[in-house]
Amino acid sequence: MSSAQKQVWEGAIPLQIHLHESEVTTLPPPPPALVLAPRIGYLPLLISLVKPHFSSTLPPGLDTVWFDYKGLPLKWYIPTGVLFDLLCVEPERPWNLTVHFRGYPSNILLPCEGEDSVKWSFINSLKEAAYVINGNSKNVMNMSQPDQVELWDSVLKGNLETYRRVASKLKLGTSEDEYTENVSSVLIKSPQSTGDTDVTGQVKTGRIPVRLYLWTVTEEFDDFEDAPQIDNWDKVSYINRPVELYKEDGKYFSLNDAVKRILPEYFLENSFVIEGDTNINQSGEEGERSSDPGSSCNAAEIAEIKFVRIQGIEPILDIPFSWVVNNLINPEYFLHMCVCLKVKANAVQ
Amino acid sequence: MSAESPSSVRKVVVHLRATGDAPILKQSKFKIAGTDKFVKVIDFLRRQLHRETMFVYVNSAFSPNPDELVIDLFNNFGFDGKLVVNYACSMAWG
Repeated sequence: MSSAQKQVWEGAIPLQIHLHESEVTTLPPPPPALVLAPRIGYLPLLISLVKPHFSSTLPPGLDTVWFDYKGLPLKWYIPTGVLFDLLCVEPERPWNLTVHFRGYPSNILLPCEGEDSVKWSFINSLKEAAYVINGNSKNVMNMSQPDQVELWDSVLKGNLETYRRVASKLKLGTSEDEYTENVSSVLIKSPQSTGDTDVTGQVKTGRIPVRLYLWTVTEEFDDFEDAPQIDNWDKVSYINRPVELYKEDGKYFSLNDAVKRILPEYFLENSFVIEGDTNINQSGEEGERSSDPGSSCNAAEIAEIKFVRIQGIEPILDIPFSWVVNNLINPEYFLHMCVCLKVKANAVQ
Repeated sequence: MSAESPSSVRKVVVHLRATGDAPILKQSKFKIAGTDKFVKVIDFLRRQLHRETMFVYVNSAFSPNPDELVIDLFNNFGFDGKLVVNYACSMAWG
């Protein structure tokens, strides 16, 4: 068990939750609620902690709880840590959120019936990740009911040991340790020694499920305080593209390589070639045209990575991607990456 | 794949298959823009079947997040040139 993974599981964001002014019926208004929100958790799971704090002041009616940050309704199925990394570019502690018990913005947010909805979303993401890794979701679907309950419970309680024990039965990361060994052996190897052993080129070692939250800026900013605010979900592209992990003799696949491979439309450089990429859907009749090789060779990069934030840290882009995967994935086996790109004003499609 | 932009407006063929007691649609294959979100498929089924709640799956396996792009689902889980979407009126695969 890596210490980084332990830190991810113990990671929490201090929240200062204010009741929206339209729902305050008492004078003085109730003080904000202070809650420590686990990074790997989800906002609706905090309702049982937050509700008693405000229950005496709420207007009569049925509760439909949701949260906003500076007016932006927060998507409940995104892990809390990811919301913070994405929306609070200059990290604010405590993070000031507003809770609403009325007026659910169903045009923006998916319906949510508390923990049940979150669990449903979690299990389905887990199945989707399993599909990406193994080509089917059988291991998750065949999970016994007690195991499923225990797995979910371990996420709710942040119990990494229980999680590891139950999740290991899913056999979704059997080669994980192998990656780490590969990476260290590759790193230790001196550049001169390349080519003396298995000169077979790239070896595919796995498919990594990635959820990438992309926002692009056109103006330069040096200080995170000056970063433009994400005030609308339309400004964030929600990209779900797996990364094929390759082992290449003498080289390792970096975080930088991974981001560029996920976003080829922004990084059309010559050195970046997907070799041996046989997409699972390629059965020949799809009629996908390969792009004009001439155009991709000469195209300059139209974007520059401003930052990549994963689990609250901004790893250097040269870090082996396998380290990122082994240590920073969320419990549903997706790696969530917040990526900010600076693009030329006229290059945005 | 190479450098082709996966998000360019490409149409994806969605094959809708009924599961359990869900009614079968007269037309089962539709084209949808890859840039659309999966919620568009769910809403389409809701309208067609006049149901408030639908359980919608990909490859009889999992329910994608409604915010996921159809093109991503097709690239990740499609085969034979289409994306197979199963729908049911009650929960089919937990």
